[in-house]
Amino acid sequence: MTTEPSRRIQRLRRRALRSAQTAAVASPSNAPDAPDAPDSTTAPRVSFRDAPPLTTPVFEVGSLSVFYGDHEAVRDVNMTIGDRQITAMIGPSGCGKSTMIRCFNRMNDLIPTARVVGKIRYHGENLYGKEVDPIEVRRRIGMVFQKPNPFPKSIYDNIAYGPRVGSFKGNLDDLVEETLTRAALWDEVKDKLKTSALALSGGQQQRLCIARTIAVKPEVILMDEPCSALDPIATAKIEDLMEHLAQEFTIVVVTHNMQQAARVSHRTAFFTSDVDVKGERHGRLVEYDETERIFSNPSDQRTEDYISGRFG
Amino acid sequence: MGSPVLDKGPEAGVPEVRRLKSDGTPWRERLFQLSLWASLAVGVVFLGCLLVYIVVEAWPRLNFRILTNFPDIIDPSQAGAQSAIMGTIWVIGFTALYCLPVGFLTAIYLEEYADPERWWNRAVEINIQNLAAVPSIVYGILGLGIISRGLGFGQTVLTASLTLSLLVLPTVIIAAREAIRAVPQSIREASLALGATQWQTIWRQVLPAAVPGMATGSILALSRAIGEAAPLLLLGGLTFITFNPTGPESAFTVLPIQIFNWISQSRSEFVSLAAAAIVILLVILLAMNSLAIWLRNRYSHRW
Repeated sequence: MTTEPSRRIQRLRRRALRSAQTAAVASPSNAPDAPDAPDSTTAPRVSFRDAPPLTTPVFEVGSLSVFYGDHEAVRDVNMTIGDRQITAMIGPSGCGKSTMIRCFNRMNDLIPTARVVGKIRYHGENLYGKEVDPIEVRRRIGMVFQKPNPFPKSIYDNIAYGPRVGSFKGNLDDLVEETLTRAALWDEVKDKLKTSALALSGGQQQRLCIARTIAVKPEVILMDEPCSALDPIATAKIEDLMEHLAQEFTIVVVTHNMQQAARVSHRTAFFTSDVDVKGERHGRLVEYDETERIFSNPSDQRTEDYISGRFG
Repeated sequence: MGSPVLDKGPEAGVPEVRRLKSDGTPWRERLFQLSLWASLAVGVVFLGCLLVYIVVEAWPRLNFRILTNFPDIIDPSQAGAQSAIMGTIWVIGFTALYCLPVGFLTAIYLEEYADPERWWNRAVEINIQNLAAVPSIVYGILGLGIISRGLGFGQTVLTASLTLSLLVLPTVIIAAREAIRAVPQSIREASLALGATQWQTIWRQVLPAAVPGMATGSILALSRAIGEAAPLLLLGGLTFITFNPTGPESAFTVLPIQIFNWISQSRSEFVSLAAAAIVILLVILLAMNSLAIWLRNRYSHRW
């Protein structure tokens, strides 16, 4: 813990330097047909993380489409998400990545008009099977939202809520301490467990939300743009936490921030919104591969255009 | 987006300096402000006059006898409104007992469970809003026909409170729905994403956050019921009752009916008695509304 602040500051410095470089390089690369643009913008800046193999898939998605009423938000997605790694979903607004992530813990059930067609298997089990209890699904597959949304209760009660509703038997105090420690928040809040969670800063609130999620001991954590409401320092802390948590949890993260995807994820899925022959707009998975490949040598022109900042 | 000075280019010569000095408030704005103040004054001055007039009228009778004594048709100086005050408390107590649980549960259903796409839910919703606008005398007829005679409850506290419950139920439902709707969706999502059931989410997150708003709305609805005379007159709320209610089966009178009765007497002592009863009714109403405001400020949430 003692070395962490200095390490963090170094990382921040590097990151600031990188984004300065990106800004400098990215503007000329906006010129059309700059052949080496993606390489020169991405390759030297980021040391990508080696992706673990997909031998033990957590999710297997097969020809999945999601409808809101008559509107098809996502069409025909196929992907496999691996165990204990970070999978990032990137893409322009309205490409269906948030819709997609909400399928993994059946949050779309809450929208009366939403309809899911196709298959999502969770450890081989059909997630949308008739006998599957969505409550149990959400206990195993937790979710962190875009805007920090702590309950208007004390920090302690925020962490204890999940275990309590799940009829946890055991020592709650110990569980709260253990959870907050794992979320690297214990030192900051141990003296004010009984104060309102709303008194925390935005970044702390979001880390509390992550802690609250891991308190129910899920296997998967879904994060829907977890840093989009946070400043760069709070973002860096969340990214550190994600890296750390990926040793124990499978993490799927939706992000608008391509640098974030490049920094933290092992694999990246690029979505875009497409218009079909009938003129209907729908989200599509364009390319899904190891993050390094997506950012250094994507196989689809649209991916290349997006990550080099030519659209989106 | 250059500044206007630059846009003119060098050939435009010395740019005109724009002054920051005010030309004074334009008369249209003053007129508008004046009309706002005037409209506000109509309400406030009127209420002030009413209060002063009532207190002056009631002054000779504003003593403890009005609280402790029972109505007396022979000697107005010894008459009091105890039976009416107690009757009001009984009736409103039972009204709250009937209409709050029903209203809250209805609001929870409509906000949390009902699918607004279904035509029957929309029909219920429109009906509730219409019911809130139905004149209270109509509820009196309903109470008389169905509760008093149809169910045979007679002229009792029970009949009165059931009728008043029906009268304020739409208001309670609408207020409770507003309060429930004000709880951000993100709180529900957070709870459900942690594996809470829908009922756990409502009971542990939505209701605690909504209760201050629900309480405020309910108190305002009940204070409307306290002032109602019309439906109770129709129910045959008795005007000369010299005993306190002893239970829901008991005969009763309430303050508005007592006031109505005293005002219609010819002797001037009864008129000041009526004014004194009005003061008491107003005090009760103001106390309830203050409680509502206090609750709202004390427990209002920041999200």
